[in-house]
Amino acid sequence: MWARARQWWNKVASYLVLGAVAAPFLTMYVSFFLRAFGKRMYLGVVPKEFGFANFQFLWRPIAWGLEQTTVWTALGNTVFFAVTSALAVTIICMLAGYALSRIEFRGKNFFLVLQLFLHAVPGQILLIAIFFLLFYIKLLHKIPGVALARASLEIPLGIWMAKGFFDGIPWDVERSAMIDGCTRFQVWYRVFLPLVKPGIAAVFIWGFLFAWHDFIYVYTLLPGTIKLMSTLIQSLLATEVIDYGYLAALSLIYMIPPLLLFVFLQRALLRVPVFGGKGV
Amino acid sequence: MMRISLHNLSKYFGDVKAVDELTLQIQEGEFVALLGPSGCGKTTTLLTIAGFYRPTKGEVRFSDRVVNDLPPRERNIGMVFQSYALYPHMRVFDNITFPLKIKKVPKKHWGTKATEVAKLLEIADLMDRVPGQLSGGQQQRVALARSLVKEPDLLLLDEPLSNLDAKLRITMRAELKRLQKDLGITTIFVTHDQVEAMTMADRIALLEGGRLQQVGSPEELYDLPATLFVAGFIGTPPMNFVEVSLEEVEGRLFVTTEHFRFPLSNGIAQKVHRMATSREVVLGVRPEDITIGQGKIEGEVYVVEPLGRDTLVTLRIGALGFKVLAPPRFRVAIGERVQLAFSMERIQLFDKATERSLLL
Repeated sequence: MWARARQWWNKVASYLVLGAVAAPFLTMYVSFFLRAFGKRMYLGVVPKEFGFANFQFLWRPIAWGLEQTTVWTALGNTVFFAVTSALAVTIICMLAGYALSRIEFRGKNFFLVLQLFLHAVPGQILLIAIFFLLFYIKLLHKIPGVALARASLEIPLGIWMAKGFFDGIPWDVERSAMIDGCTRFQVWYRVFLPLVKPGIAAVFIWGFLFAWHDFIYVYTLLPGTIKLMSTLIQSLLATEVIDYGYLAALSLIYMIPPLLLFVFLQRALLRVPVFGGKGV
Repeated sequence: MMRISLHNLSKYFGDVKAVDELTLQIQEGEFVALLGPSGCGKTTTLLTIAGFYRPTKGEVRFSDRVVNDLPPRERNIGMVFQSYALYPHMRVFDNITFPLKIKKVPKKHWGTKATEVAKLLEIADLMDRVPGQLSGGQQQRVALARSLVKEPDLLLLDEPLSNLDAKLRITMRAELKRLQKDLGITTIFVTHDQVEAMTMADRIALLEGGRLQQVGSPEELYDLPATLFVAGFIGTPPMNFVEVSLEEVEGRLFVTTEHFRFPLSNGIAQKVHRMATSREVVLGVRPEDITIGQGKIEGEVYVVEPLGRDTLVTLRIGALGFKVLAPPRFRVAIGERVQLAFSMERIQLFDKATERSLLL
């Protein structure tokens, strides 16, 4: 009898602890959704009426100061920025990861350690150098240029990720492809890339998310007239009266594309090829 | 068709001599086994012939042409790996036709070529499956089909049978041998299993520690092993070895130990006379070359193991142990004392220091 009560109590206690830890985050998300859809708030917490009033920006221009834009322009800019950056990360990491996994060359280990070191360097300290670099190659104030600069921050760890995926492919498969007539490039393109599809998806999502959420590069290296979602939200925060409902609704829209990307790419993420046989 | 010759081939990895001064000629259409224990350099040799490793020293020649620097894709070879190394994301048909695709053979020929090899290997009904859905034996056939579809001049097989179960291995042994003879492709295969090498190969090259120990037909290696290592490696149960000394009494050579002594036959004695540099030699006798129930040597039965086809008897002569293959249903009690005789023309003698045969 007592043992049973004790078991029950153990269970309840663990739920209580976990609930307490999760509570602040849950509260944040709940109030975020309530604010986005609530018309007016009681005590700033309880919404009075639900509706899409906060989402008017979807069909009306958004103004800040003397300028204005639309949410669609900002979203389009952000997608362009994030996809360009993610593509750069993916292509470079897939090439570099293969080389580092399969080809022996002098300084390889040094290079790999260097990547880890570079990953530890905060992106902000490079801003000034990148500013001048982009200026000289005439890519400053242009989305593709800043996207490439942003990609360079994710490439070091992305290379390690990609290398890990290539390391998982048996040597015999590579040798087999070479016997079948492939050049090194064909081995990479025709045999290895299809086999590391989950890796490609992972690296792409990785690159996309960091670019999508980036603020400091976009804010510093793009002119104020080119708004991405992050800088648009920031400029609304900088006004004197902050409309929290409006802000929450805008942020909700900001969240949707990365979620969609996950949904579309999760199939690729889960599709892991099976290698048969011993000694692989 | 192609002749292969390895000329003083050496491959070092740092200080490790994986292959050391290997010289070997392989004739057109020949089926040659590279045999040896793990780490003997056989796979390194195969990968060097395939072009994955560049020789540190020496040459690989394909029909008189030195190919040391030729990349694998330009050597027109087929290769089957131990793990089969099929492309897991492609259907069987795409696996088989992959070499044609890379070689830019027009697409209209793929079907006929693939069907041809698939028929040969009896996998025509598997064309739409992916490798994950195939058994080990089927995967191996697909790997073979892929290596044969481009009509290679040379076929390399790396431990082709070691991933199959025991029963299938015996079937595939015979089938591979037949296939090789039918196609007449020069073939080199690597194995650590002496039975595989003996049964399949026209000639065996036995390697140990990166060095070639002996090359010859299975019978040559079995009947006249060049070194102690070859003698011990080839044959199951393995050859019996005893350290003995040579004695010359009235012009006749005798082999003596504490426990027995017998004269050598004239033929063997002549060779030993010519070759021996010391009195200390190693006597080798195969288990089937000892007869129980006759002769002057006396031993004691230690254990009897019926094998069905014959009976394996372990005898003790003093402190020496001997394995003897006796006829099936041979009955003898443990501890019984028996007479035994060696087939005098079939004994082997090796120099104790150099471990080389004195009979060559």
